[in-house]
Amino acid sequence: MIEIQNLYKRYHGPHGGGWVLKDISLTIPDGVSVGVIGRNGAGKSTLLRLIGGMDTPDRGRVIRKGRVSWPIGLAGGFKGSMTGRQNVKFVARVHGIKKSLHKLIHEVQDFAEIGKAFDDPVNTYSSGMRARLAFGLSLAFDFDIYISDEATAVGDRAFKAKAREAFQQRVDHASLIMVSHGEGTLKQMCQAGIFIDEGKAHWFDRIDDAIEAYHRSTGLITDVADEDDDEEIPVDQLDADSLKAQLRSLKREMNELHKQQIIAQYRLETTTDEAEVANLQEEKQSLRRKHQLARKRFKELKQHKQVSA
Amino acid sequence: MATDTEAVPDSVRHPMRVTWDVWSAMYLREMIARTMADRMAWFWMIFEPVATVGVMIFIRTYIRGGRNITGAEFVPWMIVGLMGFYLFREAMLRPMGAVEANRGLFTYRQILPIDPVLIRCFVEGIIRSFIFLLFILIGSLLKINMIPDHAFGVMMDWLSLWMLGVGLGVLLSVASGLVPEVGRVVRIITLPLLLISGVIFPVTYVPAQYQQYLLWNPIVHGIESMRLSFFDSYHSIPGINMTYLWMWALSTLTLGLVMHVRFASRLKAR
Repeated sequence: MIEIQNLYKRYHGPHGGGWVLKDISLTIPDGVSVGVIGRNGAGKSTLLRLIGGMDTPDRGRVIRKGRVSWPIGLAGGFKGSMTGRQNVKFVARVHGIKKSLHKLIHEVQDFAEIGKAFDDPVNTYSSGMRARLAFGLSLAFDFDIYISDEATAVGDRAFKAKAREAFQQRVDHASLIMVSHGEGTLKQMCQAGIFIDEGKAHWFDRIDDAIEAYHRSTGLITDVADEDDDEEIPVDQLDADSLKAQLRSLKREMNELHKQQIIAQYRLETTTDEAEVANLQEEKQSLRRKHQLARKRFKELKQHKQVSA
Repeated sequence: MATDTEAVPDSVRHPMRVTWDVWSAMYLREMIARTMADRMAWFWMIFEPVATVGVMIFIRTYIRGGRNITGAEFVPWMIVGLMGFYLFREAMLRPMGAVEANRGLFTYRQILPIDPVLIRCFVEGIIRSFIFLLFILIGSLLKINMIPDHAFGVMMDWLSLWMLGVGLGVLLSVASGLVPEVGRVVRIITLPLLLISGVIFPVTYVPAQYQQYLLWNPIVHGIESMRLSFFDSYHSIPGINMTYLWMWALSTLTLGLVMHVRFASRLKAR
């Protein structure tokens, strides 16, 4: 179980720093895997670092009950001049493993599948090999809570699948706190969710709700962006020919949309199925919005044509 | 994949036990890095002091003439001074880069910034002591009189110089972690420090009325005291006082440790 009480965190940059996290209180129960989502720079990784004990909060505290891992797959602690084996031994020793050291090394070696390179200096490794070693190392320890910052996104396709499988086996008897932008991964791995927005953390018992909240908070922006991304060149940059062509195509589009609207209206009046009604209503709405946008653009272009003529 | 993984004895480990585990792991890591990481690292570890001692003796013999030291042979006198000074210097300089070099290790929350600093101080002392013993052994084989007259006294003085370096090293590791310029300045002043510590030129060369200012420097006390223990008939300047050196060592060490506690999170976060 992890308890976060009135946690504040700020960064002291050269221009002063704002609060990254403000007054967060949460309890993450045992056996519940949690996905952390939020915008870039919202403080997801910071929260993860605080939970993992790699950073200290400015105010408040984090109480860890149980064994918490370091972020899975983090290769930062490897010393380049030492071999993979030596690095693994070092981490094992830091965690107080003595008797079963050899078994652990064996396990990491098996999982990482880097062959003889295990006894080469780490700075001769490719980034993929490094990631494999780091991932194997994290999974060889038996933690109660694993923390992960976009961890499953390493290695080639085969390794990814293997890592995910191993991960899920582990999640059966341990829990996981992960930061990810992959919603599929989150839904697959986690039950609960934390959505971080403007320094506040919101807890959701279901990950789907958290993702939905995240979408809602950013949704307005993305909707507009989606509709606007049909090559909208500023009006005054168009030459006369392309202006004419655009006007023509817009007119066609408007006609088409208008027809579809009429069809939708007709189907709406004739249908009897209730589910269908809702669907059609939605469709009609979106058609109307598109039609309006097209008309707006058409008017704009026409005005411009008159002005320039 | 079989999942009979290793139980991490994290929750039952006593904090002292955690620290001990970290220290022993880091000690092995540092030793391997120092002796085996580079090609021929172990060779340079031994040859470098030999070379510097050789250069210093050459300078003193042919450029700034006169090899007369009252009550001691010149070559052993030089070796003792240089080894003592290098012990101090390395114990002071090595820890300064320790926090930066081991930044990646703070991923494991068991490791604090003070750990690599202390381990480096310790490793440096062990290596320097080993090299010094090697010098004594080889010197004796070459019929240079390198056997100390008061072995226990030399050991105590050796330890004192080490502790002085450790105290300053711990303090400077925090200071240079917070203000990087500190590291540069310290590196610059180590050469003048070599000259004013009576390592190459005997302190007795200094006119009597200025000797009191020389004694402000705690390194002089350590080196001269070690030479006095080494050579029975050696004469140094009056006022050599090991308590003064230990005051320096312990006060800088205390201040350094307090600052490590105070600024631990800042050192980690940067």
